[in-house]
Amino acid sequence: MTREAVAAQQASLLQALLADGPTPAGFDADRIRVQARALLAKRGRITRNLRPDLADELGDRFGPLFAEYALGHPKRDDTRARQDADNFGAWLVSNNHLVAPRRPWWRPRR
Amino acid sequence: MRRMRRVSAGPRLGVGIGWRPEIDLTVERLSDVDFVEVVAENLMAGDLPSSLRLLRGRGVPVLPHAVSLSLGGAEPLDMRRVEHLAAVAEALDAPMVSDHVCFVRAGGLDAGHLMPLPRTRDALAVLVANVRQAQRELPVPLALENVAALFDWPDAELTEGQFLAELVERTDCRLLVDVANLHANARNIGTDPAAFLATLPLERLAYVHVAGGVERDGLYHDTHAHAMPDVVLDLLGDLCARVDPPGVLLERDDDYPSDADLAAELAAIRAVLS
Repeated sequence: MTREAVAAQQASLLQALLADGPTPAGFDADRIRVQARALLAKRGRITRNLRPDLADELGDRFGPLFAEYALGHPKRDDTRARQDADNFGAWLVSNNHLVAPRRPWWRPRR
Repeated sequence: MRRMRRVSAGPRLGVGIGWRPEIDLTVERLSDVDFVEVVAENLMAGDLPSSLRLLRGRGVPVLPHAVSLSLGGAEPLDMRRVEHLAAVAEALDAPMVSDHVCFVRAGGLDAGHLMPLPRTRDALAVLVANVRQAQRELPVPLALENVAALFDWPDAELTEGQFLAELVERTDCRLLVDVANLHANARNIGTDPAAFLATLPLERLAYVHVAGGVERDGLYHDTHAHAMPDVVLDLLGDLCARVDPPGVLLERDDDYPSDADLAAELAAIRAVLS
């Protein structure tokens, strides 16, 4: 099945780009790093836009902490961007990077 | 000796801009916008933004542009995404829809961006099968766009132009040629722009994208957040020497400039077309 072979190639590439997996054979490792950084930056920008409260509270810590979160939690294909941003918020609290806010962040805003 | 080829792939569109919620009023105010494009995933067919209804009321075509079908992905197509695109197209009475020659999901992960495909016959076969499956569900023609890459796959069996030409031949899809992405790939993975344009079946051209980007550490990043570089307009000119494009659309997705700056970019596009 050619479809299965292509699926395996694509999956191993995304592991390398999103989850710090090994660079698949034949790829330029430097370029994979550049693409991985670009994808991380895009995901971070989306998260900032969805949760400006986290960006405000973290200030300069946002970038490194988001990178740490993102590599350990590559975005699943069933996770929407809003959920991903909220998961980052929960991760910050459970890892003691932020204290839980008085108004729980997961409550819908009015 | 311009206008050598007439295009048979759909309506005359003119010059347009990507509608985004952040610039909805700007798009309404700009005097010379003939059509707009909207990211399909950001819309609900039953609850269109009032700005888009206003534009439709003026007779401005609104083309849904999808970013998540993952048509080149080797996992089964997510037909709910295709159905959503179809519903948005009907709600907007759109003459066509589009997505990209790429994949976005694999192995349970979501790249969150348009990833290039391996240019192999196997990958092309997967893409062709998925496109045909999507086309059966869509109420209007599908146009497919070349994407920008920061890296290349090993073991390519086809050039970018050959890959797209064969896709068109086997699916009868239309082409959405992004000349900024073409510039990115010329810079980043060695695509030959002249050979690319010469290989494509440009009579199937639906419209053209232009956008800004930035050069960083020797690579061109297609950011849609910077001004459009002259080299992209030059490529638009090269394309226009081969075909009279039915439409050209400016994409801007972040760091929005003033209305005047966007108007100036649209005017620069018109200057190339004239």
